[in-house]
Amino acid sequence: MANTRAAPIFRFNDQRASLVRKTVDRVCEVTGDPLLALNDAAYHETRRLDGSKRPREQERLESWKSLARRLSRMTQGERELALRELAHEYAEDIAGNFDPRVFSFSTRLVPTLVTGLLNPSSLARSISDPASLFSIGSLRDKVRVEGDIAQLQRLAEIGTLVFVPTHSSNLDSIVFGFALEASGLPPATYGAGKNLFTNPILSFFMHNLGAYRVDRRLGHRVYKDCLKTYSTVLIENGFHSLFFPGGTRSRSGMVEQHLKLGLVGTGIEAYTRTLVAGQERKVFFVPSTINYLITLEAETLIADFLEAAGKARYIIVDDESSRVARVAAFMRKLLSMAGSVVIRFGRPLDPFGCAVDEDGVSHDKRGRPVDTSSYVRNVHGDVALDAARNNQYTRELGVEIADSYRKETVVMSTNVVAAAAFELLRQATGSRDLFSLLRVRDEVVDRDTLAREVLRIRDQLVDLEKSGGVRLHEGLHQISGGDMVAQAMRAFSGYHTTPVIQPRADGVALRDPKLLFYYQNRLVAHGLGYDPDRARRAS
Amino acid sequence: MTAPAPIVGVVGGGPWGLSLARAVRRAKQSEVLLHTRRHADDSQPGIDIVRDFAPLAETPLIILAVPSPAVRSVARELGDHLSGRHMVVHGIRGLSGDDLRTVSQILREETPVRRLGALGGPVQAPELHSGRASAMIVGSAFADVTATVVATLEGPWLQVKSTDDLVGLEWASALMGCLSVGLGYAQVRDDVSPGLLAALVSGAVDEAVAIAKVAGAEASTLYGLGGYGDLLASMALHDRPEVVVGRALARGASLEEAQKEAELRVEAVELIPRVARFAQLQGVASGFFAALADILTRQTSPEAALARLFGMRGR
Repeated sequence: MANTRAAPIFRFNDQRASLVRKTVDRVCEVTGDPLLALNDAAYHETRRLDGSKRPREQERLESWKSLARRLSRMTQGERELALRELAHEYAEDIAGNFDPRVFSFSTRLVPTLVTGLLNPSSLARSISDPASLFSIGSLRDKVRVEGDIAQLQRLAEIGTLVFVPTHSSNLDSIVFGFALEASGLPPATYGAGKNLFTNPILSFFMHNLGAYRVDRRLGHRVYKDCLKTYSTVLIENGFHSLFFPGGTRSRSGMVEQHLKLGLVGTGIEAYTRTLVAGQERKVFFVPSTINYLITLEAETLIADFLEAAGKARYIIVDDESSRVARVAAFMRKLLSMAGSVVIRFGRPLDPFGCAVDEDGVSHDKRGRPVDTSSYVRNVHGDVALDAARNNQYTRELGVEIADSYRKETVVMSTNVVAAAAFELLRQATGSRDLFSLLRVRDEVVDRDTLAREVLRIRDQLVDLEKSGGVRLHEGLHQISGGDMVAQAMRAFSGYHTTPVIQPRADGVALRDPKLLFYYQNRLVAHGLGYDPDRARRAS
Repeated sequence: MTAPAPIVGVVGGGPWGLSLARAVRRAKQSEVLLHTRRHADDSQPGIDIVRDFAPLAETPLIILAVPSPAVRSVARELGDHLSGRHMVVHGIRGLSGDDLRTVSQILREETPVRRLGALGGPVQAPELHSGRASAMIVGSAFADVTATVVATLEGPWLQVKSTDDLVGLEWASALMGCLSVGLGYAQVRDDVSPGLLAALVSGAVDEAVAIAKVAGAEASTLYGLGGYGDLLASMALHDRPEVVVGRALARGASLEEAQKEAELRVEAVELIPRVARFAQLQGVASGFFAALADILTRQTSPEAALARLFGMRGR
């Protein structure tokens, strides 16, 4: 197993000042005209802060207004200085922290304590066996980690890993961090929404586990440049990184297919810059899926998706992840079921979307080895920084990541049963209109019919799995339809505020169509389940 | 001091490939390596004939001009000599298989090259060959590809436009080739007035746009030089192979006779029925393409075909 304590992030605090300085220098270097950049920042910030009642924000608003008034009278040197000060302020705000003691605490003790607190019998075992208090084994049978771990350990030694997982819960970064530790992979630094730093449960970890802060309220160029440049500098300097290319948690429950690629593109730039500097450092993207039997914030997310036909709140600050009781109930539920979370590391890719072998060598789709530096050379054979070219490579990488998401999705019993139940709901109502279906309450379906429909969908998934198009959670291949329904019913019961499906004397009641819709959506990218877009086109 | 024009590789020794090689040579006096398996000696000053692909490794820009059924095998062989540094641009009007894969998709699957592009627009081989003034368009998502192609081919006699909508240009080229068959068919019919012909053309282009959009094309590309522009040129190009095939069919010739009359391979003949099927599967209206498919298989009389094209019943 690799020595994860040798990972660059353990030297983060020594390098923090240098990383911030490099970020500021580069942002100032690439900003063409400080006047335009500062004007743009002042315009956006004035609009954002206008009307705020908070004293600190009012003070900030006045400061921006003052800058906007002075800008035209400032000399070029004064504008450059103002830009540098602003970039420095942002870079300092973005740059995270990493406390090895907190890391050690969180990875060794917290899983055991959390397990123990939520499952007293396990705590009793831990007390009788103190060594187990410092083991992460207690979570191992609940959180499964799959993929070619040995290859990733090897790649972590010869290049920088950039993990790009699917995103459906605020617990993702913690669960993913656990997966890295459990697999002997180095911890990764990651950009977390600033709103999460106000979450009482998550902020402690966020502050001290290498997370850097992303303030999604700031939409102007200077801030975006600072954020991307900071990420680029981190990757250039060998800091393994983690992005969620979905941008935000999947509101619908669908596997993300339209990715936000801003931070993903920093991997290509970082790689190119190491070549320009004559110190090639390879960058390996690791598409991964985080698959939950049930999702902590499912109720809020699907309500948000449906609200105003997708006019989602980009930042949700009041969902289940901010309520201690709900998190505890969720964890209790998860910990009562083996394999309730599966993390799958997909096949690593280079920044150009080519598959990478265990030695870090890229291969084209025919399997030929490829010199990755050739992708950033111009017609004269020189390595060149070219933002437009890199943007296109990033789009192509995004397509490969989305393809990997489909293939590495681990389908759970809750997804299959929800898809079957939703299809029976559709048949019973004779409607294809989503909102008509969601209004139906307590439709009771025949138990055997539901079991047959479950098997029909399962068999389609088995065929898809044979061609490498998806993964089925272990145990689903042989299980009967009735047993799968029972398994899903156990998973659903006791956590969601309304039972999703419920046994009745005359069959199975479909109690919450919204949650059925949410859980079945996991199959839509695979061409299975009810696809609202397809239904709309068909009508 | 300007950098010397890079060596350009051209793959395909047919009339189209040879014309492109001559156009490249004429524009900037670039040295050209022309890969051909034909035995005829097409070498000219500045155009060197090569029989294998290895020398093309030295040419940063390669133009592919082979028949669409040969693309995959040629690309697979060529790919052994290329890297990510190369740019490959094709001038092929085909879409492959029932899922209508573009040539650039095949090149992506068979070579390590990523900087891909396509040539399209109204220019025809004889114009390129003789240097008669014309226009073409290059499409690529990579700006350095379009810039290199424009710099390589553009001259006083050839205007080269560019678009970043590669998918759109590939679909436009393929579909306008198909519609040119219909155009030739309608042109020789006495019962098709200019007004009806205009209605036919605009309706057919709208249908092509709807089909191509399903594949990710932008409508503006089909309404531009690579689409409408290409089709407009067909109205005046009586010897364009697709138009020749259409005219021959309208006169009652068999498909085999019509293809023989065109002398050159017409990709559209095989493509039309596949486009009609694709559109049907995607739920997109495809009356024009379905009617063209019927014309090719002679499942309908010329009168019935025209009535169907115009959406009329028994005139």
